[in-house]
Amino acid sequence: MSPCLSDDALERVHADLGSIAERAHLAGCAACTGRSRRMRRDLDLITAVLRETREPLTHVAPVRRRWIPAAVGLSVAALALLVWVEVAVWRAVTPVPATMQPQEVAAILSDVSASLFSVNGDPVRSTADDGPLTLEGMARDVDSTLTGDEP
Amino acid sequence: MIVAAHYGRLRRLCRLLLGDPQEAEDVVQEVFLKAHEAERLARAPMDWGAWLTRVAVNGCRDRRRAGGWMRFRLRSTHIDDLPLVADTPAPSEAAISEDTRRRIWAAFRDLPRRQQEVFALRYIEEQPTTDVAQALGLSPGSVKRHLYRAVRHLRRALGDAR
Repeated sequence: MSPCLSDDALERVHADLGSIAERAHLAGCAACTGRSRRMRRDLDLITAVLRETREPLTHVAPVRRRWIPAAVGLSVAALALLVWVEVAVWRAVTPVPATMQPQEVAAILSDVSASLFSVNGDPVRSTADDGPLTLEGMARDVDSTLTGDEP
Repeated sequence: MIVAAHYGRLRRLCRLLLGDPQEAEDVVQEVFLKAHEAERLARAPMDWGAWLTRVAVNGCRDRRRAGGWMRFRLRSTHIDDLPLVADTPAPSEAAISEDTRRRIWAAFRDLPRRQQEVFALRYIEEQPTTDVAQALGLSPGSVKRHLYRAVRHLRRALGDAR
């Protein structure tokens, strides 16, 4: 004789989904028949409750959206990862540009100025050699360029 | 005649599927209006029972689809459904513990819509599998599979109560 049916198999037989072998076993096995009767009683109880009793007053559960906590968690994790990459990794591998000294900046600016105000392609003499840039000096340079006089 | 024969069972079916007595009442009224219209237009079906069931199930589906907001509000109790005398439970309710009833109802509400419909028609309405399949537009095999899953889920809820 075949081994007794599992609960799952018994429920399949109840739903008329059981195989011929399972049904044959149920017909000949007292233990399984007893369990099947118990199952039938459970079903009777369930139908009696649904048919004859009032549904308890409860807050209806909102639509279960199980993906929301997971999505929020993933978003937070992604954001944290992004911040960490920015702070710890990106800054570590990106070379910090060397800062220039004020004198170098002044020299570059005066070169640019000389190129802009050059006459006949001859660059105006850089004022960086004469010392730091001053407003008066720059005004003098502009005047001389406009009048054509050498400063 | 049709109303007298089917009103009670349709009301029960709609209440089971919707969980709201007032909504269920509205759906049943609409079903009988449609039946009246069908009769007036000489389109009366051969089997009123199956026709009414199918229209009621579709009406409940439409209600559920349209009334998403209802899921978030406290389910109200229609005045007719309130117990008239004190709080003494009906004999059928007294025989079954409060916890068991609560678990069974909660498990039923947990079922997917299709399984609720199949279970209600097959076991509450006691319709044969072929009629259930016809009413829901499913194959008999599909009805059996839905039924198997529904029964398994409900029995587990009952098992937890013991």
